[in-house]
Amino acid sequence: MTWHPKERGATRRDFLMRSGGAALGLSSAGSLLAACGNSTTPSGGGGTGAGGEPVGPGGLPLARPDKRVTLPMWENPIESGLEPETGGTFTVFNYPAYFWKKLLKDFGKKYGVEVQYTPFDNIASGIQQLAAGSVQPDVMEMTPDHLDQVVAGKLIKPLNLDYIPNLQKNIWPELVDPFYDGGSHYTVPYTTYATGILWRNDQVTEDIASMQQPWDIFWQAQAYKGKTALLSEDRETIAMALLRKGITDINTEDPKQIDQAVSDLKELYGICNIKVGDSQYQTIPEGTAWLNQAWSGDPIAAYIYYLPAKTPSTTLSYWKAPKGHVPVQNDCFSICSTTKKPVLAHLFLNWMIDNGIAKSNFINFNGYQPPLNEIEPTGLLEELRKVRNASWGTTDKAPPENLQTAILTNDDFGPDTIQEMTLTAEGNALWQNGYSDFLSGG
Amino acid sequence: MYPRWLWPGFAFPGVLWLIILFVVPFYAVIGVAFGTVDPILLSAVPIWNPLEWNVGWVNETLTRLAPGGDLWVVFVRTCEYVFVSLGLSLLIGYPVAYYIARHASRTKNMLLILLILPFWISYLMRMLAWVNLLAPDGFVNRFLQFAHIIDQPYGFLDGQSSTVILALVYGYIPYLILPLYASLDRIDKSQIEAARDLGASPFRAFLHVTLPLSKTGILGGCVLIALPMFGDYYTPNLVSGAPTTSMLGNQIDLYFHSTSQPTIGAALTILLSLFLVVLMGYYLITVARATRNLESV
Repeated sequence: MTWHPKERGATRRDFLMRSGGAALGLSSAGSLLAACGNSTTPSGGGGTGAGGEPVGPGGLPLARPDKRVTLPMWENPIESGLEPETGGTFTVFNYPAYFWKKLLKDFGKKYGVEVQYTPFDNIASGIQQLAAGSVQPDVMEMTPDHLDQVVAGKLIKPLNLDYIPNLQKNIWPELVDPFYDGGSHYTVPYTTYATGILWRNDQVTEDIASMQQPWDIFWQAQAYKGKTALLSEDRETIAMALLRKGITDINTEDPKQIDQAVSDLKELYGICNIKVGDSQYQTIPEGTAWLNQAWSGDPIAAYIYYLPAKTPSTTLSYWKAPKGHVPVQNDCFSICSTTKKPVLAHLFLNWMIDNGIAKSNFINFNGYQPPLNEIEPTGLLEELRKVRNASWGTTDKAPPENLQTAILTNDDFGPDTIQEMTLTAEGNALWQNGYSDFLSGG
Repeated sequence: MYPRWLWPGFAFPGVLWLIILFVVPFYAVIGVAFGTVDPILLSAVPIWNPLEWNVGWVNETLTRLAPGGDLWVVFVRTCEYVFVSLGLSLLIGYPVAYYIARHASRTKNMLLILLILPFWISYLMRMLAWVNLLAPDGFVNRFLQFAHIIDQPYGFLDGQSSTVILALVYGYIPYLILPLYASLDRIDKSQIEAARDLGASPFRAFLHVTLPLSKTGILGGCVLIALPMFGDYYTPNLVSGAPTTSMLGNQIDLYFHSTSQPTIGAALTILLSLFLVVLMGYYLITVARATRNLESV
């Protein structure tokens, strides 16, 4: 920059000196503040219990697929035989576009309420909103790894299963009395999914499913630079890197293992300029991405809703590891403590796992499979094919064979599975800071 | 006679606005940064009394932001993106503002309206439009292929730094041009004429009169766009999505929205603000000096 001769322009040296002065001031302020408290651990936020075992928020035990936990009821459930409340608004608090609004409208019509759908960005921020009182929902989507937190914080209410007969009748036995919520005190399962790899056969030449370690594909994706992505979830991303190295404890809190996983993930910058995001159900079928870590619901949604009519359905492939090596998850629904309609909230939980409702929500909108006994994989694929043909005017004779991989059965759940579950506060920080380090891109 | 409080009283709404919408929220962020985390809900518990502040999170974040820390690279990248974007914005914006202020006599109002036009569409929508334009089968790639400039679609959206920088420039440049135009428009033409009368060529007159006199406008415009650019996170998210192009705003967003450590998000916000205060201080000093010099002429 040229200065007017009459002006005495500040030189770069002046600027640096001033910046330095400010930095010095900042560090002095740091010294002064050193007299204050200095802690980065939420006391009582989980750590070790009286017996030395790791515990979660509120000192509740950490559930694992092979370690069943029954959560304490912080109040008695509502009595049986009460009439549902009518009139006013019934609020469903959930991920955006994770429940078919037409069905919710039908529910409202049936029980004489107006159903309001309030979305949250992610489950963590949803819980923060609930805790802060900025929302007062009646029911809320819940994940098992956050259950300790909402139970200890008394944010959700215990259930009276008399109102929810569909749980016993329609749901896979493994999830009627799940390991994370023995006796189903607080939750009713909603959807199930596994984490695997979704790719386009017309771009990716490797036979991923036949590879000795299919997760290695991300570390061999030089040819797919800029077209390769991982899920934007700390647990999923780091767990994938652990599984690639044969570590199946995806709830580990060993800093060495986490550091190594993050370090491995960072190799992907140079290999394929890895991206992160959660829209693989759209980007893969549309061709803007070719190779993606993906949930099992993604290939289904991709096939039904996003794969252009002119693109053969065999373009999409999905792989997931065998049981015990594939992370499986299930989402649930719970009744919020803020509800003014507890009876209706129970009826909602029962209604959403009605065979017809749950299946319609899955096939016509959601793409994430409910754990219904009634669903039979071959028949389901046939139904998906019909939905695609009807939506796109295509004439697919058969669904892509590979899509069967994305269908889960009750055998995929049980004590010998792996599932991302609640961590201690220190463990949480370890995973989150590791993910932040990966996201830093350096 | 008017009462003495009348004229200062006009500042009251502005001061109130500043207190409610800036001072209080900013102190809340400070309270969170120096606060603790609820042991059960893992949500931020702000500490309002400075004597009780917990400096653990800020210290930890400062260490991570320092050279060698895992966030240092994001800090450097953010500075690079912002300064390159500022440079490009100036290169594009200055001639535009100069033309409107000095040469667009009858079309001035029309051009100003055209400049403001992008504000009618939300930033997010404009960025999403670019995502479509830059897609492999988007208009830009199709044109470049049609013109035989490229054979295959170029991966604009494949996690490129250049795309993020261009998106930042596109998104914020109107905010630079408007103050720049105002500053250039205010320059007394007789000063430039005097330079020309004294034998200066048009270029020398620009270099020694117009440019120095528009310095406050340049700095004002730069500050105006640099501040939101430093905190931007959705531009790299939308047009890239790669960690190698992430900015500090992405880290703040991550810690506030997707983790149980909002305190780190708040600490990052405070430290970024302190850095910006240094830049802002430089701007204020320069403007004050320029004003003094003008007054003394």
